[in-house]
Amino acid sequence: MEAATVHHHHGPPEANRSSRIHPALLGMLLFIISEVMVFGAFFTAYFFIRVVVPGAEWFPFDGFELPVAVAGVNTAILLSSSLTLHWAQVSIKNGNHTGLKVGMLLTFLLGATFLFVQINEYATLTREGITPQAFAQGTIFYGLTGLHGAHVFIGLLILLVVTIRAFRGHYSPDHHDGVEVPGIYWHFVDVMWIVVYTTVYIL
Amino acid sequence: MIAHLRAPGWYRAAFYIALALGLSWLLLWSANGFSASDVSGIGWVQVSLISAPLFFLGGLGAFDYWIYWASGRPTRPEDHSAHGATSWKDYLRINTDHKVIGIQYVVTSFFFMFIGGLMAMLMRAELAAPGRQFVDPSAYNGLFSVHASILIFLFIIPVFAGLANYVIPLMIGAPDMAFPRLNAVSFWLLPAAGTIMMLSFFAPGGSFASGWTAYAPLSTTAPDGQVFFTIGVQFAGASSIATALNFLVTIITMRAPGMSFFRMPLLVWANFSTSLLVVIATPFVAASQFFVLLDRALGFNFFDAAQGGDVLMYQHVFWFYSHPAVYIMMLPGFGIISEVLAVKSRKPVFGYRMMAFSLLAIVILGFTVWAHHMFVSGMQSWIRVPMMVTTAIIAVPTGIKIFSWLATMWRGVLKLDTPMLFALGFLTMFVLGGISGVMLSMLPFVIHVSDTYFIVAHIHYVLFGGSLFTIYAGVYYWFPKMTGRMYNEKLGKLHFWTTFFFFNVTFAPMHLIGVQGMPRRVADYSEQFANWNMAISIASFFLGLSTLIFLYNMVASWRGGKRATGNPWNALTLEWQVSSPPPVFNFDRIPTVVGGPYEYGVPGAVHGVFEGVETTAEERQPAGAVASTAKE
Repeated sequence: MEAATVHHHHGPPEANRSSRIHPALLGMLLFIISEVMVFGAFFTAYFFIRVVVPGAEWFPFDGFELPVAVAGVNTAILLSSSLTLHWAQVSIKNGNHTGLKVGMLLTFLLGATFLFVQINEYATLTREGITPQAFAQGTIFYGLTGLHGAHVFIGLLILLVVTIRAFRGHYSPDHHDGVEVPGIYWHFVDVMWIVVYTTVYIL
Repeated sequence: MIAHLRAPGWYRAAFYIALALGLSWLLLWSANGFSASDVSGIGWVQVSLISAPLFFLGGLGAFDYWIYWASGRPTRPEDHSAHGATSWKDYLRINTDHKVIGIQYVVTSFFFMFIGGLMAMLMRAELAAPGRQFVDPSAYNGLFSVHASILIFLFIIPVFAGLANYVIPLMIGAPDMAFPRLNAVSFWLLPAAGTIMMLSFFAPGGSFASGWTAYAPLSTTAPDGQVFFTIGVQFAGASSIATALNFLVTIITMRAPGMSFFRMPLLVWANFSTSLLVVIATPFVAASQFFVLLDRALGFNFFDAAQGGDVLMYQHVFWFYSHPAVYIMMLPGFGIISEVLAVKSRKPVFGYRMMAFSLLAIVILGFTVWAHHMFVSGMQSWIRVPMMVTTAIIAVPTGIKIFSWLATMWRGVLKLDTPMLFALGFLTMFVLGGISGVMLSMLPFVIHVSDTYFIVAHIHYVLFGGSLFTIYAGVYYWFPKMTGRMYNEKLGKLHFWTTFFFFNVTFAPMHLIGVQGMPRRVADYSEQFANWNMAISIASFFLGLSTLIFLYNMVASWRGGKRATGNPWNALTLEWQVSSPPPVFNFDRIPTVVGGPYEYGVPGAVHGVFEGVETTAEERQPAGAVASTAKE
């Protein structure tokens, strides 16, 4: 069965597609599993600091308070960016390029607003004495929200690329994986924020 | 010169590293209110350690395609010039060919094995007699820490990834990995991670010395060498997550027609399971080192009990990765052994499906045993007994594998060449390591031997006698495929017997002195252990020398060994059905799989058929379905 000998090829043979799932999509899903586990580790730290440590307290304590309402509005802003992103994705599937452009631009702006509000929140909290250096509750507050904020930042960079490419007309109804796959990441970042917001601010 | 600096390659990489150092300094300078005197040296080192490897990869050209693509500029035409290797220089650049990357991985990780091994020699020289010989206690701490970190993160984990990188696309009938460029990035992160860990020896206060476990608060208060571990592990971890993701997508979406999951060779199953572990568990070690880095660099309080932090949390997060990690370091080896034993016994693997299911069982159970590393840590005592029980249970799927291998060999026609010898050596040594593992799961016993040489003996029986023997088996087994040359069988056997003998003389006595109470991780010991330690040290030097036989055999055979045929072992799996070394794109046409991978001794059994090759209708029947004239 000495079948394959060296031939001069112009390229590799096309791989057999043994699963219906798109490789890039599967790769993104696996990456998200990995990301969920990073958050899982940070939530483990949160659990230890809030529950396991003897005499542990959580906000509000000693006059330190988290701006639950402001962060709630910010949550709404971030979640609405998922809706505009979805609208952009549906638009390009239907061949509506204007919808794609406007949708991507809105998504990016909403995401940037979220990050801007969060940075302001950090500045305010720092003035009130809630810092990561002050106590472990501050450490894990900044740890979890900062980890999420870093994901928002990376997500924004990706959205920026998608938006630029949308304005350059790189996508079409038949060819929009470049919107779909980053979109999954952005939706993940949004869903993760709901978990972070609920555990850190509300519970 | 400018052209050199613009084109991807080593010149640009060096330039970019310099750029990273400069930009890191500017970043800190601006963060410190534009005051040069406020920029701390260690701060600069920390930022540089994070930025320089990324800039290095950028300089080599790992990100070029993506940057061109993302900015909408025309990407380089896909002329596949990045595929294949015609000279050794092709191994020193970004290459997207999984076969080249596989060899890059294996050679690089063996380089780190020799470094890690030399550190072990130095430790044994120190331990040859009580008192101080060559190194002072803190240097000794640094030696065993770097020894373990390098051999775990830069040898065992990546060398398996390298072998799998080479073999898996061939085995499943794919032209390459699913994400070839990501594959190249995964590889090039490794030399960066290794260099970072080695550089720690130049840090003031010496290299990191808190063991490969880097427990807080030891690691949060250690001298600055510690950050070289904290950051180096991040790159090694990122590399292994990216590779695992790549393997999973490749295995799921790129199998040849007819290659159902239960027709996959067990090496593919093993790496599938390992990759699941890596994707799920490795983020935890990344997080644990983030915590340490934030505590060290920015004064966070994750582990500061005075501020409400929790020290034990480190161990929980760390072992939630690092226990699965011991399976990450073993499951691919199980796969190699299944291949070698079936081929060298000329028999189908016994209980193929149970072999696959037991791998998945290990994946799941592997996540339920982490706290058995913490029995003496002072954690909540109610966790102990459940962890003891799950730890004992996880020996069951491993036992299934051991007995299946024995049954595979039962009444087989054994060919006792080098890969087979190492496979048999693995079986015996791993059973011993497994038995001491079950002993260590038992609370009353482990409390007695915690932090003694019994632990050192156990870990080396499973990682050296276990993992490393499977690695040797795999390297010898696939050497003809990778290089197109045969290795020297006589030297191979000599290598096996010397390694096997001196391995046992080195590590078996450690059980004894461990039970007697000799503590590990200490440069000195009491007089009563002197004789055993002298014997161990002498044996360990011979063990080190035996590795040189391997090195010579590999180098000499690669340069001038006998030419290998496509299928020197008469194996059925697809990688042996192409030339040695395989064509640049693996297959002219993707083969069709018509039967199981291990139907040795079954008349008329065929695993894969190639279009364009004469096959009869009978041969396309599933293996074993019809008896026809044997094809081989």
